[in-house]
Amino acid sequence: MSTLRKRMRATTIVAGVGVVALLVAGCARGGDEGGGSSEGPADASPGITDTEITLGITTPLSGATAGPGTCTVAGITAYFGARNAEGGIEFGDGKTRTVKINALDDGYDPQKAAANFEQLKGSVFAMTSGLGTPTNRSWREAATADEVPQVLIQTGDPIFSNQQESPWSLGFVPIYQNEGAAFGELLASSSGEHKVAILAQNDDYGEGYVEGFKEAIEGADNIEIVKELTYEATDTTVDAQLTELAGSGADVFFNAMSITPLVISSLQKAQQLNWLPSWFLPSNTSSPGAILEPGGASAFPGVYTVAFAQSASAPTFAESEEGATFLSDLAEYADYPDVPAFPHCVWSYQIGATLEQVFQKMTEPTRDDFMAQLRSISDFVAPLMLEGTAVDTTIDGDPAVSSVIVQKYNGKGYATAEDFG
Amino acid sequence: MSAATAFFSRTWVRWAVVGVIAVVLIVLPLIFDAPTNSTLARIGVFAVAVLGLNVVMGYTGQVSLGQIFFLGLGAYVTAYGVNEGWNIVLVFILAILLPAVVGLLVALAAARLGGLAIAMVTIALPIVGVPLAKRLSEFTGGSQGTSARFSSAPEWTGLYDDQWQLYVVIAIPAAVFVLTRNLVRGKFGRAFAIVKENEAVASSMGISPYRYKVLAFTIASAIGGVAGFLYMVVIQYTSPETLAFHHSITLLASMVIGGAASILGSLIGGAYYVLVPQLTNIIDPNLTAVLQGAILLLVLFILPGGIVSLPRLWRRSRGGRGLGSPVAAGAQTTGIATIEGTRASHAGDYASPVGSAPAVPPVTGPESGPTDKSPSPESPEKRQDT
Amino acid sequence: MGTFIQLVIDGLSTGSIYAALALAIVLVNQATGLINFAQGGMAVLSAYVAYQFLQWGLPLILAIIASVIVSFFLGAVIERFLMRRFERGDPDTAIVVTVGLLTLITGVCAWIWSYNNLLFPSLFPLDSIPILGASVSVRSIGTTLVILAIMVLLQVLFVGTKLGLALRAVAINPQSASYSGLPVGRLLMVGWGLAAILGAVAGALVAPSLTLTPGMMDGALVYALAAVILGGLSSPVGVVVAAWMIGVLENLAAVYVPFIGHDLKIAVPFVLIFVVLIVRPQGLFGRKVVVRV
Repeated sequence: MSTLRKRMRATTIVAGVGVVALLVAGCARGGDEGGGSSEGPADASPGITDTEITLGITTPLSGATAGPGTCTVAGITAYFGARNAEGGIEFGDGKTRTVKINALDDGYDPQKAAANFEQLKGSVFAMTSGLGTPTNRSWREAATADEVPQVLIQTGDPIFSNQQESPWSLGFVPIYQNEGAAFGELLASSSGEHKVAILAQNDDYGEGYVEGFKEAIEGADNIEIVKELTYEATDTTVDAQLTELAGSGADVFFNAMSITPLVISSLQKAQQLNWLPSWFLPSNTSSPGAILEPGGASAFPGVYTVAFAQSASAPTFAESEEGATFLSDLAEYADYPDVPAFPHCVWSYQIGATLEQVFQKMTEPTRDDFMAQLRSISDFVAPLMLEGTAVDTTIDGDPAVSSVIVQKYNGKGYATAEDFG
Repeated sequence: MSAATAFFSRTWVRWAVVGVIAVVLIVLPLIFDAPTNSTLARIGVFAVAVLGLNVVMGYTGQVSLGQIFFLGLGAYVTAYGVNEGWNIVLVFILAILLPAVVGLLVALAAARLGGLAIAMVTIALPIVGVPLAKRLSEFTGGSQGTSARFSSAPEWTGLYDDQWQLYVVIAIPAAVFVLTRNLVRGKFGRAFAIVKENEAVASSMGISPYRYKVLAFTIASAIGGVAGFLYMVVIQYTSPETLAFHHSITLLASMVIGGAASILGSLIGGAYYVLVPQLTNIIDPNLTAVLQGAILLLVLFILPGGIVSLPRLWRRSRGGRGLGSPVAAGAQTTGIATIEGTRASHAGDYASPVGSAPAVPPVTGPESGPTDKSPSPESPEKRQDT
Repeated sequence: MGTFIQLVIDGLSTGSIYAALALAIVLVNQATGLINFAQGGMAVLSAYVAYQFLQWGLPLILAIIASVIVSFFLGAVIERFLMRRFERGDPDTAIVVTVGLLTLITGVCAWIWSYNNLLFPSLFPLDSIPILGASVSVRSIGTTLVILAIMVLLQVLFVGTKLGLALRAVAINPQSASYSGLPVGRLLMVGWGLAAILGAVAGALVAPSLTLTPGMMDGALVYALAAVILGGLSSPVGVVVAAWMIGVLENLAAVYVPFIGHDLKIAVPFVLIFVVLIVRPQGLFGRKVVVRV
C-alpha cells in the first residue's frame, strides 16, 4: 500500500472517530453541575426526598486515628438509628423523614478526604461529623464553592466557625484556644504562685491549646511558664520530654496531648521521676477508665480537664438514664458494643441531636434553608451535656459548643472544679 | 508473530491509534460528571509520581522510598508561589526545579555509598520532611497546611472547573510520559538498564554507574515535582500530611502492582493508588485496611510482574509463544536474594558470593528453572515499554 | 548530670523496643533473604492473640507462651503459602508483598479487636529503682534484659548451631543447599516461624507501654529498619547496639541541641547512619561481601 493511501486511511479513521466524538459531545453535560448551584427556592437539594435525608461523613476509619474516627460515625448513627426506629423525624415542612448516613474512610489523608467529598457531594444533603483538621481543611473551600454544608465537624480549628472564611462550614467542638483558656483562667484566678510546665502536640491542636492558655494567664503575676516542649503525634514515647520537664520544678503540668498511650505513659513516668504536679489534660484524652486509671492518676494532687459532655467511662454514666440509653443505642444501631474510650462517640451523638433540632425547624428541603436554620440554635441542651453548657450556633466565630466546664478528677469520675487546688 | 502484533506494528495503524486516543481524551472530560473527572485527574497526578519512581527504581534499580517527598515539595512550592501571586508558568518551572535540585544534591551525596545508603537517605526525606514542614510555617502554613485555589477554569473556555483541571492533568502528564518514554528507550535507558543489571559490568563498559544513578534520581525528583504541581491543581490544598512516609510505601506498591520499568505500568499504578481506596470504601468503609491488603496480595499472587504483564499471561495461557517463565514474567530484574544488602541487583555492591555473573551483553535466553536463584539474563527487548 | 543519665537510660529503654523488632527483621533476612515490612504487624497480631488468651482466662505467662506457639505456626504458614511464591523473584515485589501483608494483618486485627487502645498487662511490675541518680523503671530493665537474652540466643544460633548454618545456607544459595541434602522448604518455614516467635515476645514486651492497637509497631518500624541498616543485616549484636545508640543519641540531641529539639530529633538516626555508611558501607557490625564479576 502506498504511503499516501496509508495516510488517507489513518486520517479517515481519525476523522470518523472525531465526528462520532462531536456527536457524543453534543450530549456533553450542561446544566447546573459543579460550579455554583442555581436551584430555585423550591427545588430540593440533592440528598433529600420526601421520606429520607442522607448525610455524608468523611473521617478516618483506618490508621492511627481510627479509634476516635470510628466514634465520630458511631454516635450519630446510633442517635438517628433510634430516631428512625421511632418512625423518623418530623421536619419543619411537615414531612417525616428517616435519616441515612453515608460514611467513607479517608485514613486521615487530606487527599482521600477531598476525594470522598467529591464522591458524596452529589448524593448527600450535608456533610457532618468528620474528624481532623487537615482532612476537613482540604475540602473546605470546595464545599464553599459547591455550596455543600460542612457542618458540626469534629475539629477545634477556628477557621471553620468564621463565617467570612467558611460560609458553609461550622465546627461542633470548642476551639482549642477556648479549652486552653478555660484552664488558664482557673489557674490565674487562684491564689499562690504557680510554675507551669507545658507539653504540647506539635501541630495546630497543641498550638491552639497553648495559645489559649497563654492568653488567659497574661498579666497574672502569680503564674510563670518555666518550660515548654513539644512532641510528635507519631512518637513512641515522651520519656525524654518528661525528664526535661520534671527537672524544671514546675507544680502545674499543662498537657496538650491527644495520643492515649503517650498520656498513660506520661502519667506513669512522672510518678517514676517523683514529679507530682497538678495536671491539665485536654478533653479528648481524659477518660477515667481508659487513661486515668491505667496511668495511676490518683497519685497526683489534682488532674483537671475541660469538658462539655459527660464522660462515658465514668462509673456513674451507665447508671444514669441518658447514659444507659446512649450505650444501648450505640450497641443496637451502631454495632459498637463496648463502652467508648473516646469522647467522640458522645460528641457525635450530640451532633445528631443538634441536627435533629435543625431538621425540625427547616421549612424547605434546601441546603440554603438548612444553613439558615443551623445558625439559629441557641440554648439547646443536647443529651449528655454538662450542666452549664449548651449548644449555641448564633455567634459568628464560635463553633456550636463554646462553653466548657473545668472539671477535676475525684478518683472515679469528674466533678466541676470551682477553684484550683 | 501473531496476526494482532503484525497489525499493530504498521505505522499507519499506530498513528490512527494515537489519533483515536487523542480524540477520546479531548471528548471524555466533557461527558463525564464531576466526581469521575476529579478521580481521573487524581489518577493522572499519581501516575506521574509513580512514573518518577519507576525511572529511578524500576529502570535504574535504585531503592527510593522518598518519592512522596518530592511530590510534597513540588506541591508546597506551587502553593507558595501561587499565594505570592507569581506567574503560573514560573511557579511550574520552580515546582520542577526545586525538587530536582534537592534530588541532585541528595543523589550526589548518597549515590557513591551504595544501595543501602540510598535507601536510608530516601527514607529520611519524608520522615524529616514532615516536622520540617511544620517548623517552616511561614512558607508552609505549618501543620494546618495551605490552600491555593488557582485552577478554576478561565472564562474564555466555558468549561467547568473539574473539566479544566482534567485537561491540565491530561496535557502535562502526557508530555511527561512521552518525554520519559523517549528517555528510557534511548541511550539513557540502556545505560540505566546496564547499571541496574551489574554496576561492575557497566563501569567496565565505560558507563559510570555513579553518574547515571545521579541522573536517574534527579529526573525522578523532577518528575515528582511535576506531580506535586499537578497535585495542587487538583486538590488545591497541601499539608505536612501530603509527604508522610507511608505514602511512599503505597507509591512503591503501586509501582510494583502496575508493573515496574514500564510506562504503561506507571499509569496503571496511578490508577491503583487512587481507585483501590475508593473501591474499598464502596465495599465496606470499616474494612478498608483488610480489603486493601487482600487486593494487593491477590493481584501480586496472580500477576507477580504487575498488571502490565497481563497480556503476556493471557498469551501464554492460550498457548502462544510466551516470553519467559511464570516466575520471571514481567520481572525484568535479576532476582538474587542476598544476605548483605536487601537487593543485590539494586545495590550492585552486594551480591551473592556464589552468584554467577550475567552474560555481557545481556542476551535473550531460556529461563532457568524455578528453583534457581541465580540471575536470569534478559534482553532489553523483554522489558515492558509501551 | 541526673538528667543526662536519665536520658541515657530512657534512650536504652526506647532503643530496646526498636531492637526487639530489628532482631526479628534480621532473623528473617538471614533465613530467607527478604526484608519483611510486616514483621511489626505480625508481632502485633501475636500480642493480640496473647490478649485473647488472657481474656479467656489464662494467666499472663501462659498466654504469652500460647501466643508464641501460635505465632510459630503462623509464621511458617505465611512463608509456605504466601512468601514462597515471591522469594525467587524480584526483591521489590517481595517487599511489596510484605507491605500488603502488613496492611492485611493490621486490618484483620482492627476487624476482630477494633481500633481502641487495649490494656495489656506487663510481665514486670510498675516500680522504679534509683540507679546513679536516675530513676529506672523495672519494666525497662526487664525488657532490655530479655532483648539481650534473645540477642545472645540468635548470635549463638547463627554462628554455633547446625540449624543456624543450615538456615544461612538456604538463604545464600538454595540450589546448592538442596543438593547438599538440606530440606530447603522446611528450613524456610522454620526461619519465618522463629522470627514470628521473636516478634511475639517483642510484642508482649512492648504492648504494656504502647497499649495494644493494630498500628502499635508502625512507629517503631522505621527505627527498626534504621537499626538494621546501621548495625548490619547479618549481626544480631550489631542491630541491638545500633538500636540503643539511636535511642540514646536521639534523646541527647533533642535535649542538648536546642536547634534540633524534639521535633527534628528524628533526623539524628539518619545522619548517624549516613556517617557510618561512608566509613563502613556494610554497617557497624556487618560482614563485608565481595562481588564477583
